Amino acid sequence: MSRVGTLFWLALAMTSCVIMFMINYAVQSLQGDLTKVHQQTIAAQLEIRVLHAEWSYLTQPERLAELNKQFLSLTPIATRQLQQTITEIPLRTMPDPAVEKTASAAPAPAPAAGLELPAASPAGRGLDALFAQASAEPQAAGGALPATPIALSAAAARPAPADRGLDALFMQIATGR
Amino acid sequence: MLSIQRTDENPCRPRHFKPPPCAPIVTDPESHTRIETCRTRMLVAAALFLAIFAVVGLRLADIVLISGAGAAAEPRLTRPKPVLPPPERSDIVDRNNMLLATTLDSPALYADPRQIIDPQEATRALLTVLPNLDAIRVYADLTSDKKFVYLKQRLTPQEHYDVNRLGIPGFMFESGWRRYYPFGSLAAHVVGYTDSDNKGRSGVERGLDKRLNEHTGPLRLSLDARVQFVLRDELVRVVQDFDAKGAAGIIMDVHTGEVVAMVSLPDFDPNHPGAANESLPPGAINDRIFNKVTLGDFELGSVFKIFNTAMALDSGVSTMTSQYDARDNIRIGRFTISDYHGKHRWLSVPEIFMYSSNIGSARMAVAAGSERQQSFLGRLGILQKANLQLDEIATPHYPKGKAWSEVSTMTIAYGHGIAVSPLECVTGVAAIVNGGIWHPATLLKVPDGVEPPGQRVIAEKTSDQMRKLMRLVVEFGTARFAAAPGYVVGGKTGTAEKNAHGRYEEKKLVSTFIGAFPMQAPRYVILALVDEPKGNKETHGYATAGWTVAPATSRIVSRIAPLLGITPVDESSPDIKQALQVESLAGKRIEDY
Repeated sequence: MSRVGTLFWLALAMTSCVIMFMINYAVQSLQGDLTKVHQQTIAAQLEIRVLHAEWSYLTQPERLAELNKQFLSLTPIATRQLQQTITEIPLRTMPDPAVEKTASAAPAPAPAAGLELPAASPAGRGLDALFAQASAEPQAAGGALPATPIALSAAAARPAPADRGLDALFMQIATGR
Repeated sequence: MLSIQRTDENPCRPRHFKPPPCAPIVTDPESHTRIETCRTRMLVAAALFLAIFAVVGLRLADIVLISGAGAAAEPRLTRPKPVLPPPERSDIVDRNNMLLATTLDSPALYADPRQIIDPQEATRALLTVLPNLDAIRVYADLTSDKKFVYLKQRLTPQEHYDVNRLGIPGFMFESGWRRYYPFGSLAAHVVGYTDSDNKGRSGVERGLDKRLNEHTGPLRLSLDARVQFVLRDELVRVVQDFDAKGAAGIIMDVHTGEVVAMVSLPDFDPNHPGAANESLPPGAINDRIFNKVTLGDFELGSVFKIFNTAMALDSGVSTMTSQYDARDNIRIGRFTISDYHGKHRWLSVPEIFMYSSNIGSARMAVAAGSERQQSFLGRLGILQKANLQLDEIATPHYPKGKAWSEVSTMTIAYGHGIAVSPLECVTGVAAIVNGGIWHPATLLKVPDGVEPPGQRVIAEKTSDQMRKLMRLVVEFGTARFAAAPGYVVGGKTGTAEKNAHGRYEEKKLVSTFIGAFPMQAPRYVILALVDEPKGNKETHGYATAGWTVAPATSRIVSRIAPLLGITPVDESSPDIKQALQVESLAGKRIEDY
């Protein structure tokens, strides 16, 4: 009886011993891996530093200027190439004398009429009429009407259908100017 | 005492053999009780040990089974963090985080000659990857009987790799940190350089040496490498065009005092501070390391009329319509004050400024008085040593105390008899054009949107008037070549003869232009100075500021303004015209200077 007990405990001790050593070795090997990863991290960090320095070296303004001279011949931006705001972009000219004629011949439209015109005009001519309206209105308004009605019409034109797109936007800006 | 019976009284036993003491054979009852006592004590000891083991066992069960069940889910492992090797000095970056200085590992190559098997072969192989080495010296080193010879200091990563790939036993590397400046001489005077122990020797490297060793991340300067490049590029051109001895330039943000660019020529490559630069006139190393902007003392000449006029207007001694007699030269003591562009009539304040009349300026200064002049220049920080993050700061030279006589007052009015650094001058002008608030100059980035506190030195109205006057000089006066279309440059030229041993030398000039842009709401002040320019064919032999640095300023402003996000304006638009018009000259025909 006591012999069986002894054997059992001995076996248990041996097993735990073996397991313990196995775990120990596993941990040691993981530790080794970790150290290696750390070393690699440091090496990578050093490499990144070198690459940063190299990037900086390669992009130094003097070198870029020389490369530009050699391959691109770009020149500094001239003042005339810089536009301050979108309002400085000239509007597209609309070569439709018929519309212009009607617009100028028509009596000065009241601001209220200006509001309706974009929506009321026939579909095909809508945009042209819009531009004619835009160019005619300030002239017609002249000195008699203050800036408010113009601003009003611009504000009212805003809810115009979205399909008028950019041109309509430019027009609004132009009238608001 | 226990009586021990020795059973080995064997006469034949070895002499040194002593048998172990045997268990006592108990004979008497007295001894028996004693043994019983011992046994009890042993039992107590055994119980004690059992209790201890039980505690240990319970604790084990507790850790493994009870509290261990939760802990297994999140292993509490204290991992060592991957850290960079320690001797790391902070990087220096510009305001856009471009790297200006960094520390890299650059190993030194050394050899143990005893381990070299074939010195001839090793030398030949080494020379293929490091062709700059002296073959004879390397061979001599490798055949010497030393244990340790340096072959090359500071290998580049590529060289390191190449030498390693040779696979020659006996070649070894010694790790070492070295400072690198990827932009080379671009910002040499600001960044500075370090010695072989990585200690700062000049520039920010020296001035902020402590900060750089604090491991608190990169040091962000106020410089903009792009602007710096443009300034340097144009000044190099000026030096070449006019065969000058040197040049200096500085661009400063008027609202924060941030130095956006600072150039001093000739300059040096901080990677090799001792080596010469072929593209510039030869000069001693000290001459190239000398920072003209902060350490140079110059008599800046007529640009001082900015301060003089501001002083006269701000104190109320003069108004924009005041007139001063500029008909004849002033003779005082052994001096004669005359005008370069003489008009020989009474001139108003704007005319004095525009035509750069020395006589008129001297009379304005005398009218205001020497005390006002001194306290005004003092308020603008021109009479004290500037406070910047550099060690290379000049002490201004001017007559001290009683020596500031009436003659001094007159000459200082037009920038003679006082020598200051360009940096101080620019800091003062920034306060004059920005609405009257003086900010100390700084080389460190000021956080966006923050306007550091400053002190008011002149009234806003005076600042407004000065802006108009400075614009006038570029529109109609001596600095017409400084105009940069769209960017509304204003400023003042100054051409001074160099003072050598108390005598002015006519052929040795220092030509300076100080300007600001855009003049209707100034954002930057720019100073360009050229040392001893010589006139050329294009400038009809002139080497004055209007012909040398003014055109350079125009080019610089046109190139940097888009980079700095300044939108050009139509200079002929009524708004701008009106904002910058000098009322007293309105409608008058402005004479050529």
